[in-house]
Amino acid sequence: MTPPRQHRVRVHQRDVVVYELGDGPLLGYVHGMLGNPGAHPFLEHLARRHRVVAPCLPGFTGSDPGDDLHDMFDWVSVTSEIVDAVGLTGAPVVASSIGAMLALELQAIRPEAFDRMVLIAPLGLWDADRPIADLFALPKGAQAEALSSDPGRAVEFWEDEADLSADELVRRKVGRYHTRRAAAQLVWPIPDFGLASRIHRVACPVGLVWGARDRIVSPDYAGLFAKVLSGWTATETVDGAGHAVEWDAPDETAAAVELML
Amino acid sequence: MNQLWFHLMPYTDLPEGFAEEHRSVWVDVDSRLYDPVKGHVMYNDFLDELEFAAACGFDGICVNEHHSNAYGLMPSPNLMAATLARNTDDCSIVVMGNSLALYEPPIRVAEEMAMLDVISGGRLVAGFPVGTPMDTCFAYGQNPATLRARYHEAHDLILRAWTTDETFTFNGEFTKLRYVNVWPRPVQKPHPPIWIPGGGSVDTWQWCARMDYVYAYLSYFGYLAGKETMDEYWRVMADLGKEPNPFQAGFIQFVVVADTDAEAMDIYAEAGEYFYTRCLHVNPGFVDPPGYKTEATVRAGITSQIEAAAELAEAPKQSSAMRSASGLTFEQLVSAGCVIAGSPTTVAEKLDHAVTELNVGQLFLLLQFGNMSKELTRYNTQLFAEKVLPELSGKFESDWEDRWSPKPLAKELRVGRQVMEVTT
Repeated sequence: MTPPRQHRVRVHQRDVVVYELGDGPLLGYVHGMLGNPGAHPFLEHLARRHRVVAPCLPGFTGSDPGDDLHDMFDWVSVTSEIVDAVGLTGAPVVASSIGAMLALELQAIRPEAFDRMVLIAPLGLWDADRPIADLFALPKGAQAEALSSDPGRAVEFWEDEADLSADELVRRKVGRYHTRRAAAQLVWPIPDFGLASRIHRVACPVGLVWGARDRIVSPDYAGLFAKVLSGWTATETVDGAGHAVEWDAPDETAAAVELML
Repeated sequence: MNQLWFHLMPYTDLPEGFAEEHRSVWVDVDSRLYDPVKGHVMYNDFLDELEFAAACGFDGICVNEHHSNAYGLMPSPNLMAATLARNTDDCSIVVMGNSLALYEPPIRVAEEMAMLDVISGGRLVAGFPVGTPMDTCFAYGQNPATLRARYHEAHDLILRAWTTDETFTFNGEFTKLRYVNVWPRPVQKPHPPIWIPGGGSVDTWQWCARMDYVYAYLSYFGYLAGKETMDEYWRVMADLGKEPNPFQAGFIQFVVVADTDAEAMDIYAEAGEYFYTRCLHVNPGFVDPPGYKTEATVRAGITSQIEAAAELAEAPKQSSAMRSASGLTFEQLVSAGCVIAGSPTTVAEKLDHAVTELNVGQLFLLLQFGNMSKELTRYNTQLFAEKVLPELSGKFESDWEDRWSPKPLAKELRVGRQVMEVTT
């Protein structure tokens, strides 16, 4: 597999990191809480049949921070600009977790943003009987376990390889801090910004993928989304996977996504 | 120097085994543990203790703000300060302080603090903390990524509201007000002294230097552990060309006094162990939400961790200190400098050494802590006032000007509480 091509796109005074890999029909990927590492078995699997374009949202994995983004309107505006800037407008998209929440918010106000969507454990709705877990009230080690059924799969997000230079260690740790900061910024204090009152405007086909062992957003939420999405096509559950579905089970998740594209 | 009697207002009846049976003293502390009948007594006792300290001659009495916290029962310090302003005459009323980002619109702080300054006749110190993550991000739901920007905007608004004579329009990123016009106006001009309680954030030090504010390091781990942070503070001040005026720095210290060293170790042990074991039992997940620290502080922390790892040493940061202080015996707490304990002579010597080493002229004294009873608090406070306070009084004053303490109205202009007799 050819390594992903990384480039930076200037989007209104902010550098956005974009990874591209594979050839074929265009497919967008909007990452979740762990950001977008570029080289990743999930994306590599999708890239066998697609040209995958995967931007990093502000603050995540190398993109410039989003200190100026104060509310969901700001985040949706900048996501819309990024989608245009990387050429994903009107393309099908796979979006995960908080990225899926943003994709839904964007699609609700801009129906031509994506042609179809496959959403992996999206946030955005809130069921008081099944509240979404407060990831950031857990110590860091417990966060890895809460996100992933197999934290070893996303180990590079939590731990550093041995023998890195001090400068490189600082660079990586600060980078990860920015990613964690951006994820917290986006969902604080509760990931419900009123999507329930707008989601009826999302009319394109939408497939859902959920990890059976998701400890952040209960798999029961799949039913809530299916009920309010007029274009809902199917829900695929990935056995054994946690919230970070595409990290826990990259091939199974990619196969489930491809079924729904 | 200024000796300031500080009350945290801890709930004094947390059960034995609290730390083992509960996740945290803060944020999600079990509300079934709170008995309002006992709380009624505690609040009144605590206010009595603060007023007693004022009567004993301390330079100031201090309150602060915490939320959902069983060791700090002052969600609204201004309520406490209001009654203290009425029932004391001369001492400073030090509100340490209001967490600015929690008030929308923040002119509420400008208004209430102006009220306090007017009621007290110009005795207010306005403390402006960013606030802990437990208070701000968890209990009050503020976004850690924007907390500091909100704080600074609120600060700018309050300062302008206090110092501008004309009604003005404020169009901030977070607060938008067509009309800003705070009534009442503070007594102290251009505004009450502003003190900034904080942790060890480089950005806060630089900001205090730029604004000419007092920086107060409110660590619970005492003068020995605080030395490194205060040294760094003074190093940064020197780099910025600021003189090392001790009155521009504050520090908090637990202190207990008895007739003899041995008696102090005996009679205060329970209160000390109660505080450090039960009151500091905080869920580590609440301590560091991503975005709360600035990048500069994160970077400095990572660098020091890497250096510490290389030296096989542990970085002496507050969060690790908090964990390691839990479960220590009172003797160990005293040895570590968390608590200064002993006879008046011992305490005066140690405190003199501590404030000299740290170079602090605003000394916050925790003479009540944990489940210390009212009677023991009275004993500690009075003995300190009689035997220790005079030893330290006047320190630094021949060499340095205190430009950061309140400037009250002249005594002849001040009125206090005047009971109106009901006539028949």
